[in-house]
Amino acid sequence: MTATAAMSAVLVVGMITYASRAGLILFLAERPLPSSLVRALRYVGPAVLSALTVNLIAGGEGASGVEFAEVAAVSVGVLVAFLRRNLIASLIAGMLTLWLLLVLF
Amino acid sequence: MHGTPGTMINSGMPRLRPYPEPTMPDDADAPLPTEPSKGLITRQAISDSTPLFIPAIPFALVLGFAITESAMPTGIAWSTNIFIFAGAAQLATVSLAATATWFTLVATAAAINLRHVMYSAALAPRFGDQPRWFRWVGPYVLIDQTFALVSTRTELSTSAWRRYFLSSGFFFFTLWNIFVVAGMVVGSSIPTEWRLDVAPAVMFAGLVVLGLSNWPGAVAAIVGAGACYVALGVPNNGGILIGAVSGVAAGYVADVVLDGRNLSTRGFPQ
Repeated sequence: MTATAAMSAVLVVGMITYASRAGLILFLAERPLPSSLVRALRYVGPAVLSALTVNLIAGGEGASGVEFAEVAAVSVGVLVAFLRRNLIASLIAGMLTLWLLLVLF
Repeated sequence: MHGTPGTMINSGMPRLRPYPEPTMPDDADAPLPTEPSKGLITRQAISDSTPLFIPAIPFALVLGFAITESAMPTGIAWSTNIFIFAGAAQLATVSLAATATWFTLVATAAAINLRHVMYSAALAPRFGDQPRWFRWVGPYVLIDQTFALVSTRTELSTSAWRRYFLSSGFFFFTLWNIFVVAGMVVGSSIPTEWRLDVAPAVMFAGLVVLGLSNWPGAVAAIVGAGACYVALGVPNNGGILIGAVSGVAAGYVADVVLDGRNLSTRGFPQ
């Protein structure tokens, strides 16, 4: 990615982020969002973050980029996040799993 | 970043005296006679924000490392701290630069931040009688944690709420920038054999789990991941967007179906 493409991407994401945060406060104060929109927005977070996780595991190489150790690390991280409700514990458990597997195999 | 107020850790800072109960709904700019001083409000905002920042520390460190590894020039990747200031979207932006097209990158990062529209909608009434400058500046620091804190502070007067909001928001902004730079310094000295490049994936997976509060959310996450996996062969990382759209649609449908049976608001057994 060229510097120009990278900078413009950062600026456009920044503008969209600011618009998401400021839009209704600046222009539509007091008017509630349609309930169907609120309903859909609630699921944007889980849907896009889980899709992104799968994509990062594949590393842009399609299904062939999926590595066992990485999948195991993410799976353990998910399990610990469920059990402990704690992001730090989840990250540590996931990375320890990865390192253990990399050392063993 | 998904705030997790339910997992607050005691900050160890002295808890300040709780505010007096409001005696009446007050929107006037003049503080109530019982209103705490400006300094007390700022200290209260910082002491409330500290425990919420602690879970964000590893996130900031991972992001700092990802910035040094990014396919973007380091300075531009770092500038996401100023121009975007939203952990998950920043991490997506700097990590995807290596493989995704410009459009996929922008669309993914923007989608991650769409949730802020809900915060904006929820807080808009509170901004109705705020000065113009604050309506422009406040949203810049409207992150998950700030939203979680200010949305519960309904008892504060207009000016006290503004001070609380800005104190909390810029407290997060300052600490975030410090810890991301710390991650850049530490991360660049860690050898690649440690595979810290896997940390963002673990982080995002954990964020999904912590962000889930009901069954339709779980449906959205599972369908989103599954559709992205099936669509991994789609060029330019288009699978992310296919996964996102499928997941939102599935979550929406699940919500409508479960709502019809009065189940959608039921949380998970914890």
